[in-house]
Amino acid sequence: MLREDFVIQANIRRMLTRTDIDASQMDFGTVRGVVYIQGTFQVSRFDPSWDSDKVKDFTMNTLYSLEKKIRRIPGVSDVIFQLNNWKKEKGHWFHVKVTKKEENK
Amino acid sequence: MKPRRNPIHRHILDEIVKKVQMHPNYADLQNQFALLLMVEGKMERAEIHFLKAIRLNPKYRKAILNLGFLYMEMRRWEKAEEIFLSEAKRRPRDGFLHHVLGILYLQTGRQKEAAARICKAMQYHSHYRDYYSKKGVWQRGTIHLDPKAESLLKRIHLHPYAQFHNFVGLNLAKRGKFAQAVKELKKAEGLNPDEFIFHANLGTVYYYQGTYSKAIQEFQKALKINPLYGMGYANLSYVYGLMGRTHEALRYMNKAVRLNPQYADLHYNLALLYNDRKQYRKAILELKKALRINPDYLFARINLGVLYEDQKRWKEARREYRKILRITPDDEHVRKRLERIS
Repeated sequence: MLREDFVIQANIRRMLTRTDIDASQMDFGTVRGVVYIQGTFQVSRFDPSWDSDKVKDFTMNTLYSLEKKIRRIPGVSDVIFQLNNWKKEKGHWFHVKVTKKEENK
Repeated sequence: MKPRRNPIHRHILDEIVKKVQMHPNYADLQNQFALLLMVEGKMERAEIHFLKAIRLNPKYRKAILNLGFLYMEMRRWEKAEEIFLSEAKRRPRDGFLHHVLGILYLQTGRQKEAAARICKAMQYHSHYRDYYSKKGVWQRGTIHLDPKAESLLKRIHLHPYAQFHNFVGLNLAKRGKFAQAVKELKKAEGLNPDEFIFHANLGTVYYYQGTYSKAIQEFQKALKINPLYGMGYANLSYVYGLMGRTHEALRYMNKAVRLNPQYADLHYNLALLYNDRKQYRKAILELKKALRINPDYLFARINLGVLYEDQKRWKEARREYRKILRITPDDEHVRKRLERIS
């Protein structure tokens, strides 16, 4: 399959603006079809009346959906998330508390 | 001509009011709030908030100019002149300021001074020559200030209203309401077709929307007005990339990098384009430049490691991978790559 990293990057750039993700604290890169997503993952649009658990659920679903969408981009062979507030273990996303030190990075 | 408020405006503007109450010391919010008051016709209150914005940030050009336009709208010509003159003194080669002063003098019947400012605007920004020609003000090397031409120029005071639509459009785009955003940005563009940023923003929304040919048109309009707008070239490059036209994407990314040599991200994207075209030496060079600007630019380092590996420059590849693992020890992909070549 044709793997044009620049085209993948342009696709992700556009995709991030069309989701509920606050991309301002995230970085992304593509290396031979492998997409890297780094930083702090946050959603930008949610109902202000939601409690923190509901926001977490929504964020988790947004993460699943983002991964799915990225994998659907032609040429993408893998997605690696290096997030400081969410970790994926055995196929499930878990929220991780961000320590002050990490926040200041 | 002034914008009529609708439910979308109200919603966005209510949010600004809340934000201003929460952060009264943010100059940007004060400027937005003043703009909103101006649009609502509350000129005196708008003046207070523009002044607050300027007090908070005395170098805040947007707020200073908006205050000048507000005074023009209020027909307080002396105050407006004072503002634009002092800005022109600070930036004597800024064509836009001479252009505004020219229009201000036209409005106050000072034709000679107006003509002098129009000449200066053309001298410092070549785009104004085309602009005045189109309006019939500049004909065969001389300035013609007949009433028809004058009336065409006098729309400058609508600039803050155009800014208002621009602001609402960007806000809607952030919420993912692209069709509505396009409508607002078109209104901004209609009120002030000479402002490059309105075209650029409209282009960006078309790009997000997936209407690539229109995005290209708008970016090109923006670049015609402001050929030094480097991000316009970068955006053109992304759009061409999405269309699979990587030859054009490379051409425009090169221009973007030339105009913004300190943006590591642009060097990185240029490297990706070279890499995709198998021009590995050039790709390595660009990645090195990106890393010189930002040594913690992880993706650039991973790409560099992979490129060294491809070139069988094992030692250099190992060095880059080790550096990455020092920052992100959990990166299995990089660890595997390093193990393979160790």
